[in-house]
Amino acid sequence: MEARLTPADRERYHRHLVLSEFGVAGQERLKAAKVLVVGGGGLGSAASLYLAAAGVGTLALVDFDKVDLSNLQRQVLYGSADIGRSKALRGQARLQELNPDISIVAHDCEVTAGNVMDLIRPYHLVVDGTDRLSTRYQVNDACVLQRKMLVSAAIHRFEGQTFSYVPECGPCYRCIFPSAGEGVTPNCAEAGVLGVLPGILGTVQATEAIKLLAGFGEPLIGRLLTVDALTMRFDEFKVTRRADCAVCGDQPTIRAPQESAAPVCSADQRARIRKVSPTDLRSLLARGHVRVVDVREPTEFATACLPESRNVPLGLLLRDLPALLDAARAEGDDVVFLCRSGGRSQTACEQAAAAGLAAPLNLAGGLLAWARDVDSGFEVPLP
Amino acid sequence: MPDAAPETRAVPPCTVRVASPLRSYTGGAAQVAADGSDLSAVLACLDAAYPGMRFRMIDEQECIRPHIRLFVNGNEALRLDAAVRPGDTVHLVCALSGG
Repeated sequence: MEARLTPADRERYHRHLVLSEFGVAGQERLKAAKVLVVGGGGLGSAASLYLAAAGVGTLALVDFDKVDLSNLQRQVLYGSADIGRSKALRGQARLQELNPDISIVAHDCEVTAGNVMDLIRPYHLVVDGTDRLSTRYQVNDACVLQRKMLVSAAIHRFEGQTFSYVPECGPCYRCIFPSAGEGVTPNCAEAGVLGVLPGILGTVQATEAIKLLAGFGEPLIGRLLTVDALTMRFDEFKVTRRADCAVCGDQPTIRAPQESAAPVCSADQRARIRKVSPTDLRSLLARGHVRVVDVREPTEFATACLPESRNVPLGLLLRDLPALLDAARAEGDDVVFLCRSGGRSQTACEQAAAAGLAAPLNLAGGLLAWARDVDSGFEVPLP
Repeated sequence: MPDAAPETRAVPPCTVRVASPLRSYTGGAAQVAADGSDLSAVLACLDAAYPGMRFRMIDEQECIRPHIRLFVNGNEALRLDAAVRPGDTVHLVCALSGG
């Protein structure tokens, strides 16, 4: 893949051209390259801005979401005037403004197991900055199945991790983390994130993509790089391809991207989960015969909790579920799961349904909704 | 002339660097100390200090959970009997989901 540079290109990319490792040949390879950025969040913002500036010939951004005020602390692709508008379309406009000489494509849609193969097919390399584990596995599996390069990164509070996958050169994401159900780590909305952190990781992703496409340097193949912004410590770990990897191993079992990385319960079991409103929960508590399980982290629970609740952090729920369900059955109690906003408690309900609870109850909107609808004096701490 | 070093001295513990999602157990600490001659003992030591932390990493079958990776001095440890020596650094790495 190669495309000739115009006189304007030579001026715009002059500082690349004088790098002996990069040069005209590297810039021409970049111009011919097609890159898909999955997720227009903090990682995708930083990565796509630098990839556009660097002269990737075709750059695509996929995101189904709209810009929210709370995004702007880290998602530097957008401005205040973009609030309420499509991230994919506003991102496309911003990137095109930054570099009118390249082609910017907007995919204003959700990435699913059903469309991920078609989405990545036109591109040479995928930059993954999604905020969902299931999407992370779908993108990885699609890249392995179509032999595409992948630069993956993820963040949580002050920590980030990134690595690069090149077919048949090193491990894929599933080799490093074979599976992970939603809820094993809180997302940024629940846990918070230092705004500049995705900037650090996203620019590492852009650097990796540029090196892989232009053909110089040592990419993060077989090396997991972690960043702790609190201590400003960068650590690197050697990771290897697993012969038993479900998608890139010697006898792969995954032939197509899957709906969920690790299904927690069956569709039938999920259908038995019922949402309860804060006022419903108040009525249940007044009636009695209800067990309230708060699945937030211990530090969140210690700051503020419902007096009737007991704390079982989501990560410990599988251990405690059998005893909990036995006790609830013995007393004929309903079991209500709750968390800050309703996400972790939904996963808890799915785990309880899979463990045999006939009708798990989920506090819709979590304690934030409780504070809004029932007890305005209840202050819900950040995770 | 300085005194001779004592014949026995306390064994220095290993350093454990804690993944962000597990720091709710360590009171937010990114780094803690633990004793143990292998990974299993180190994790038991951690669990004694921070109850429940081990189960976040190790399942009922005594396997490292698939979203967790453990490293001793930067080398991946796939088994809980991996040796840990005084002064070593154990990293607890967890799959992250945010973007």
